[in-house]
Amino acid sequence: MTDLSTPTTAARAPARPAADAWRALRRRPDTVIAAAVILFFAVMAAFPGLFTGTSPRACPIRDARLDPQGWGGAHPLGTDALGCDVLATLVHGVRPSLLLAVVVVGVSLFIGVTLGLLAGYYLGWVDYLVSRTVEVFLVIPLLLAALLVLSLFQGVDLGSGTFEVILLPAIVLILFGWMPYARYVRASTLEAKNLDYVTAARSLGASDLRIMVRHVLPNAIGTVTALLPTSVAGVISAEAVLSFLGIGVRPPATSWGIQIEQGSEWVTGGAPHILLAPLICLVATVLALVVLGDALRDALDPRLAR
Amino acid sequence: MSGDTSAAAASSAADHDGVVGPGTPLLEVRDLAVEFRTPEGNVRAVDGLSYRVAAGRTLAVVGESGSGKSVSSLAVMGLLPDTARVTHGEVLLAGEDLLSLSRREHRRRCGERIAMVFQDALAALNPVHTVGYQLTEALRRRRGMSRRDAGRRAVELLDLVGVPNARGRVKDYPHQFSGGMRQRVMIATALALDPDVLIADEPTTALDVTVQAQVLRLLAEIQAERRMGLVLITHDLGVVAGMADDVTVMYAGRVVERAPVRDTFGAPAHPYTRALLHSIPSSGAGGDGEGRRLPVIPGRPPSPAALPTGCAFHPRCDTARDVCRTDPPPLEAVAVDRASACHFAAEVLASHDVPPPVEHEEAAHD
Amino acid sequence: MGRYIARRVLQAVGTLLLVMLLLHLLTTVAIQLNGNPAQAFFGDKVASPTQLAAVEQRFNLDDPCFDQVGNPCLGPFVERLGQYARGDFGTNLRGREVSDIVAAAAPNTLRLFCVVLITWLALGMVLGSVAARRRGSTGDHGIRLTSVLIDAFPVFVLLIVYRYVVAVPLHRWAEETFGEDSWPPYWFKPSFDADHPWATVVVPGILLGLAGSAAFIRLVRAGQLEAYQGDHVRAARSKGLAERHVVVHHVVRNSSVPVVTAVGLTFAEALGGAVITEGLMNIYGMGGVLWEAVRNDDVGLVLGIVTLLAAVTVVVMIVVDIAYAVLDPRIRYD
Repeated sequence: MTDLSTPTTAARAPARPAADAWRALRRRPDTVIAAAVILFFAVMAAFPGLFTGTSPRACPIRDARLDPQGWGGAHPLGTDALGCDVLATLVHGVRPSLLLAVVVVGVSLFIGVTLGLLAGYYLGWVDYLVSRTVEVFLVIPLLLAALLVLSLFQGVDLGSGTFEVILLPAIVLILFGWMPYARYVRASTLEAKNLDYVTAARSLGASDLRIMVRHVLPNAIGTVTALLPTSVAGVISAEAVLSFLGIGVRPPATSWGIQIEQGSEWVTGGAPHILLAPLICLVATVLALVVLGDALRDALDPRLAR
Repeated sequence: MSGDTSAAAASSAADHDGVVGPGTPLLEVRDLAVEFRTPEGNVRAVDGLSYRVAAGRTLAVVGESGSGKSVSSLAVMGLLPDTARVTHGEVLLAGEDLLSLSRREHRRRCGERIAMVFQDALAALNPVHTVGYQLTEALRRRRGMSRRDAGRRAVELLDLVGVPNARGRVKDYPHQFSGGMRQRVMIATALALDPDVLIADEPTTALDVTVQAQVLRLLAEIQAERRMGLVLITHDLGVVAGMADDVTVMYAGRVVERAPVRDTFGAPAHPYTRALLHSIPSSGAGGDGEGRRLPVIPGRPPSPAALPTGCAFHPRCDTARDVCRTDPPPLEAVAVDRASACHFAAEVLASHDVPPPVEHEEAAHD
Repeated sequence: MGRYIARRVLQAVGTLLLVMLLLHLLTTVAIQLNGNPAQAFFGDKVASPTQLAAVEQRFNLDDPCFDQVGNPCLGPFVERLGQYARGDFGTNLRGREVSDIVAAAAPNTLRLFCVVLITWLALGMVLGSVAARRRGSTGDHGIRLTSVLIDAFPVFVLLIVYRYVVAVPLHRWAEETFGEDSWPPYWFKPSFDADHPWATVVVPGILLGLAGSAAFIRLVRAGQLEAYQGDHVRAARSKGLAERHVVVHHVVRNSSVPVVTAVGLTFAEALGGAVITEGLMNIYGMGGVLWEAVRNDDVGLVLGIVTLLAAVTVVVMIVVDIAYAVLDPRIRYD
């Protein structure tokens, strides 16, 4: 037939989607502020000494529930019900939370991407196995699974190093947190697999591994990247809940969740700052991450932006 | 079967005045211009389009994708997306300017007086409603037809467009139909309110070649039977040869040639039309074993955002001269009922560079 | 349609069995890693000899497989399945049947989820539709900002603030303004009142629903935007139908398909949220019981409830799949 339709110049695909996304992100002030907030807390996690000289474990009971004294005072944000410095607890509580979040999201991402890629690429029994496993794990809500497993393993002693205190929550949150990545990556792998250049690469004799890593993965990674900040935020708030219940980060390490739990009793007792200080930090972190995730979603998926 | 089609078209043409003749045409588009808002500024997608369709006549609007042919039909139906607007022009339906009506009033004329068949029936039919529902949706909503009458009418409509076992299929969903049957359903929905004018936007592009001919024949029969005006938007000159009485060729949003089909195919008056006719593969030429290469039009159609100066076609034109690069040619009469927008229209017309004849649409499909 | 449902139900039974196995394996590993098997069910608590004996009997802890780390202990698993099939989900520390506790607590959880579901659909449909219709307007941007803010306040934070900061003064104000016996004071009561289950569950339910609604708003907006640009909407308009009809029958109707799917996916998350909500607001529902069980180191009860809730999730997912098939004929005839 006399098909005259030729593509017009309208189909001007960006040459480097990552670079375009980066440029779009830098232009938005909210993204810049969000990134600054995250950076601030990251520095706090890495170098708590920069922010406070007081130890969170020095808790003279006679100094309990002091009001915030402002910068320059001995206790800028006051003290909690046991006399511990609120600022010091806050600063030292960042590290376990952030470390947990980064470890959980990183490992879940790795597991999810690997399984999703394999399932989408090979289909057949690999796909069946992965899909059924995803289905089984999805049935148990993350928080319920965490409550159960952490209660069960409460008696198992793992030590008190930086990693040991977060090990158990990390394992549970990874175990029940990798499925979304696997689903997304599987779906985009199915899409990318049939693209012409992938077929071309295959017909030229490229190995499966090379096709997956070089051709399929870059296509699949966009949607998943947009999920990351929100996932980190999710882990941080999940950790707060678990710590609130006393089964998250283990004492003597502190975390915002533990502080919130202790502070909640004193709001009406005349010391609202014990609750508000960690709560505000938690909201600020989560908000910054969510804003970043939102911007990233726009930048990487312009279909939804408009 | 194409013999029937041509005969039907010819007989309807015989007892009618030509499009450019006297009498009020059913649908007349005058000097229509449509602009799109884009981040890079306003882009004119259609510029100064005019055409007329009379009862029982078929007008083909021909052009490559991006030439503005589909956008113009959306403008006629009042279906332009929010980013587009009509900057000037009139759309006269039996003498009434649709564009001067409110959006709501304009919408009321659609379906009733003028209906549209879309290109991709799978996308244009709602997947979650039964075919019967979609066939009679307008009848029930707008004419207040009862459920039972509507059910009966749906079966009639499916029968009319030749869907086998119509009674059994009204409760089926679009995805349960084959491509050709789906397009027949699409045509039936457009016919539900007995429109006077039908706009068919590339009605067969998404179909298999063998099914295309059947659907086109159905359209031609229905049109002849009901004496509808038909605007056929297509990029397929084979279809034009088999179906249309008149043809309007568009390039980059503008009309470049307007003529009765027979005249154009005999002697095109615009280099673009000539090039289009030359690029039709013909079965006769292919069979003589000469291994002749099919001529193609060099280059690609320009983006509406960056039109060349002067005549928009000049970068791809084989007869372009200096004046073509600077002065846009006006659309001027070159013979009876014929107009061309080329500085050298008379020359092109006189050259009698006639491509191999295209008689039936099947010829182009082999 | 019938065959589709049958296939889905069969598949769900398989999933449920695998879920049980997963929970069993997790429990088994915990028991094996714990020096003293029975102690795994009491956390840091010191259990009485009768409690220890009860647990040992219930979970067959005498079975030697519990001393071999890595042994999947399939024998006790089969026995456990038999117990579940008879409706026996164990007892709490005080010897009360889990099934009894759940029967008493479930109605309140159902009440909570009614409120949550209404909040989701109302917020999602209304705000999502408005945003899609006025794409790019101030309203659209406002709704978008709202959904980002909603995401930024996890249920946990919302409820802590509500319960400890907002509810008390609000409750006092309502009592003073409307009188102690009127409805408003109950709405803002900072804890559950078994005599007024609906009134005291409304605000927590709305807060929990609010926390999950951002996903719905986004989904409805994206779905309707796609529908507005779809050819079938254009075709419906070309029939000259009124805009209202087109929006209801072609835009909203079509975008309801992904929304139903989202209800299924968000349900599991909302169950977690329900535990937090019921726990913090002292609502005597399944989540509240679970919350208390975790606080009291009553691991047997935790296990029973988590198993039950997983079963409930499987059922909800079937229902969602069937609703999906009803709404989208393309699924039905696969």
